[in-house]
Amino acid sequence: MSTTFDELIVRPLLHSLSSCQDNNAFYIEGRFYSYRDMAEAISKIRAVIKNIPEVNVGLVANDDIETYASIFALWLEGKCYVPLHPEQPIQRCLDIVSQVGMNYILDSSETSRYNDIQVIMTRRLSFDKLHLEYVGNFSDDDLAYILFTSGSTGKPKGVPLCRGNVAGFVDAFHAMDIKLDSNDHCLQMFDLTFDLSVQSYLIPLLIGACVYTVSPKRIKYEAVFELLDEQNLTFALMVPSVIHYLRPYMDEIDAPSMRYSLFCGEALPLDDTECWSRCIPNARIDNVYGPTENTIYCTDYIFKREGENKESNGVLTIGKSMKGTQTIIVDDKNEILPANEKGELCLAGVQLTPGYWNNPDKNQEAFFLKDGTRFYRTGDICTMDSDGDILYFGRKDSQVKIQGFRIELSEIECVARKFYDNRIAVVAIPLYDNNRNCTIQLVVESTDRASAYTLDSYLKEYLPPYMIPQRIHFMERFPLNVNNKIDRKKITTLL
Amino acid sequence: MNKQQIMSDLNTIFCQVLNKTSLELSEETSAKDVDGWNSLTNMQIISDAEKHFNIRFKLREIIKMKNVGELCDAIQSKVSI
Repeated sequence: MSTTFDELIVRPLLHSLSSCQDNNAFYIEGRFYSYRDMAEAISKIRAVIKNIPEVNVGLVANDDIETYASIFALWLEGKCYVPLHPEQPIQRCLDIVSQVGMNYILDSSETSRYNDIQVIMTRRLSFDKLHLEYVGNFSDDDLAYILFTSGSTGKPKGVPLCRGNVAGFVDAFHAMDIKLDSNDHCLQMFDLTFDLSVQSYLIPLLIGACVYTVSPKRIKYEAVFELLDEQNLTFALMVPSVIHYLRPYMDEIDAPSMRYSLFCGEALPLDDTECWSRCIPNARIDNVYGPTENTIYCTDYIFKREGENKESNGVLTIGKSMKGTQTIIVDDKNEILPANEKGELCLAGVQLTPGYWNNPDKNQEAFFLKDGTRFYRTGDICTMDSDGDILYFGRKDSQVKIQGFRIELSEIECVARKFYDNRIAVVAIPLYDNNRNCTIQLVVESTDRASAYTLDSYLKEYLPPYMIPQRIHFMERFPLNVNNKIDRKKITTLL
Repeated sequence: MNKQQIMSDLNTIFCQVLNKTSLELSEETSAKDVDGWNSLTNMQIISDAEKHFNIRFKLREIIKMKNVGELCDAIQSKVSI
């Protein structure tokens, strides 16, 4: 069977649009949109963008039918979308626009934040006639989307994914044996700048099912519960923090409609999973794993309701590699380690990005060839047992995950140091409370407490909301360790 | 307990949780209007309000509160029981 983008994505999508016209495709902010509505929105956008001479097009990542339709309109024209978050600082978004070199942006907002660039206001376009024809002279090496993640040098870094990468993911998803049909109610709780959104909107549309979105304006775990409770969700990919926040209320949750409950984006605690499993008695629970660089997710473990589950420090195993992905654990000389020895998890296969956008240094560091296969270093310290199941132990670097968001602490530090013209030392410290909730604290080596307010405003100009430190602390002198380096552990104990 | 008193106590709780010296909460204020009011701080605000007013919310009650005014009403109805 063919595993191309056209075969696995375009053909099923066009089939849904033409033969499930009266089915609901989306539920957004309390309103349903049918596949016919979706087909019309795609058509009106396509009519305009087919004249754009460029492949990479910016997309303001709003939560509405025009934004989702824009993605498919771009894909049908062989183009690539680059999501720009409407709530993130304009400086950061403009940096992305300039890194990719984009001259066109699709925006469904009432008014656009972008000047000096061609903006197509998609909501104002009017529908004329259906444009669902597809020529398909495109290669699976062409790009499908570029996402920007936290970069350690103070600038977000671009991860381009090809049409073939997305097709590889869909092929691997099919092999998981998750049986969905057009009656399923599927959750989409992620911002479009986060790649878990791609699974969440794409898989349901390929089978004529309905996508239930969470407004970015809402508190996520509350909005998810509301949809679960009122719309009988049957398929949901979530970040573990959703059930962690719902934990005090689990005796009030009963969702027998749920059939598949997947978790990704951060470590999944076994005790939260066991409690959650009683709220969704009829569901299969999967813990999946994967970095943006290897397209959405690429390892899977099915939680056992009866019997023992593999875990490390209370965190559930991320399971085995899915179809098309190769996983190895290596030491610092890239030699494969024996079973159960800790090393860095590396990934290869059909879902792997061609490399960071215009970033040869980072590519040199993050990718390597082994016996003719190109591998990506995830930075995740793991072991693999003799069954091939992978256990996660922690990070090699200073990356932390908060509610699934990847945060390079060094990016926060870079921006804060720039505020002080690189004359003052700063450290960003992740602090965990008794319930294992993480917040970022910024510590400045200075007694100039009065600068806290302007520093906070400065950080908000350049960093997305989830990277803003909860508190800013001041210390006259940072403690040093035996190597004369800033002693982060000691600083943590002083907060 | 009157609404004004509850609003003023809530203002103090929000300031403590969100680490702000002052905040101008109105009945219409919702999560999208306030920097730092996210999933985690929302948990802390609810939990601190429950302790302060000696009440307990059900999850279905919490998801219906779309702004500070509705939180305030929910507290008032529980405190007056």
